[in-house]
Amino acid sequence: MKKLSAYVLWVMSSVCLNAQPVNLGTAGNFGVLAGSTVTNTGATVVTGDLGVSPGSAVVGFPPGVVTGTIHAGDAAAAQAQIDLTNAYNNAAGRPGPTLVAADIGGTVITPGIYNATSSLGITGSVTLSGAGVYIFQIPTTLTTASNSHVILAGGATAANIFWQVGSSATLGTGSTFYGIILAQASITITTGAAFNGKALARTGAVTLDSNGVTGGGPPPPEAPAPSSLILVAIGLTFVVLYKGRARLFRQSKEN
Amino acid sequence: MRPAVVVLATLTLLVSYAPALRGMFEQWSNDEDVSHGFVVPIVVLWIVWRERERWRTLPIEPSLWGFAILAAGAAMQLAGALGAGLFAMSVAFLISVVGAVLCLGGFAWLRALAFPLLLTVFMLPKLALVYNQVTLPLQLLASRLAAGILTVAGIGVIREGNILEMSGHRVSVVEACNGIRYLLSLGFMAVVFAYLADTKPWMRVALLAAAVPVAILANAVRVAAAGWLPWLLSGTPHAISGWFLFVLCLVMLAVLRQLFNKAYALYLS
Repeated sequence: MKKLSAYVLWVMSSVCLNAQPVNLGTAGNFGVLAGSTVTNTGATVVTGDLGVSPGSAVVGFPPGVVTGTIHAGDAAAAQAQIDLTNAYNNAAGRPGPTLVAADIGGTVITPGIYNATSSLGITGSVTLSGAGVYIFQIPTTLTTASNSHVILAGGATAANIFWQVGSSATLGTGSTFYGIILAQASITITTGAAFNGKALARTGAVTLDSNGVTGGGPPPPEAPAPSSLILVAIGLTFVVLYKGRARLFRQSKEN
Repeated sequence: MRPAVVVLATLTLLVSYAPALRGMFEQWSNDEDVSHGFVVPIVVLWIVWRERERWRTLPIEPSLWGFAILAAGAAMQLAGALGAGLFAMSVAFLISVVGAVLCLGGFAWLRALAFPLLLTVFMLPKLALVYNQVTLPLQLLASRLAAGILTVAGIGVIREGNILEMSGHRVSVVEACNGIRYLLSLGFMAVVFAYLADTKPWMRVALLAAAVPVAILANAVRVAAAGWLPWLLSGTPHAISGWFLFVLCLVMLAVLRQLFNKAYALYLS
């Protein structure tokens, strides 16, 4: 009985304690959002909208490509910044984080809320394993080394990974990175870094250099299966036709 | 068996389990994964009617065990009403139907009605605990298989969790794409098809087992097709492609039945 009670408590606590995603509001439509400027070099592709507010400078598009709309200092960008501030505060205020090392390279991390004492680095590879929400609370900087990789496993998705950065984030050359960066100041994605997520900076600049920023824009379309009622109706029709054909076949053989 | 007694017992069960039946009805109405639940009782009643000549020859030997099973059903219904939920209440209803059959007709009747009674399992509502555990693995399995199919077909695809990214567009394999609808519908149809097309009871189990991989694969093909041809993602083409694939699944089951029969004939010879 004690074991059963403990199991029930464990199930209930694991259900209740699972972190919920951070609501990005209209900022979720943006692949890139900056406070001062967005500067790009090379053939960067940004999926979703690109915005700047309260600044308005957008440099380097083209040669960069934005699949959505560029909002340079307009009302949509301003609203997205308000929503970003709410999301940033929400992520920063999530209670009960687990402390991680200053460099999480070489580790495997499961869904949950984590914090660093100061800055956070990734050297080599870090694996985020398991379906669920990951929130990293980083008081100062986030820095990934050149050719470092964030690896997703077991159902982890970029849309559920939130990096709340107290100052600035820098992704190293040739690195692979997943998740939504909510930075207080600036975000720099260096040459050739593959970034699957959203780069959302509150006050500073977002700097891009020949990157793919693929996490922006509205959610992709879905492919739901037809209703099971219709499928069974089709199935019954098929069975009736099959039986009828079999009966006809038998009769023709007898004749 | 007196028809008046059967009618009275049926009415008593329907009234006693009205909350469970109302809950099932609501779930069938609101959840497209289990909307086939409307058809299941109709098919079950049709099977009972179809075999009416058989029932007439059965001896009526009421068993007291029926009351014990009715009591078990009532206890489960109580547990469901106190918090265990709709699934428990629905199972309680089916248990009580079994109890009523035993009370009125005895074990011979229960044996004879075993198949239609087992078929009623397909009208049960979702068990949330199980559904929540299997839904994500099924989503990921469908995503993985669809990505594999696209790769084998020579179409470039990147899979990130349950998102497939092809050149120029993306497809999200959400809960409604996870294949549960194909699994439940094809499982039910496999059993009904085996009952109508074949006299061997083991064929029902064999086709039900075969329906699982067929449904999972068909769903993956459906997702892959939608990934390859984006115009299949919405509207009439989307609906028709889903229906067409389901018909292909049924054809596959018909072919499998013939193969099973040939293998069985070989085994006997």
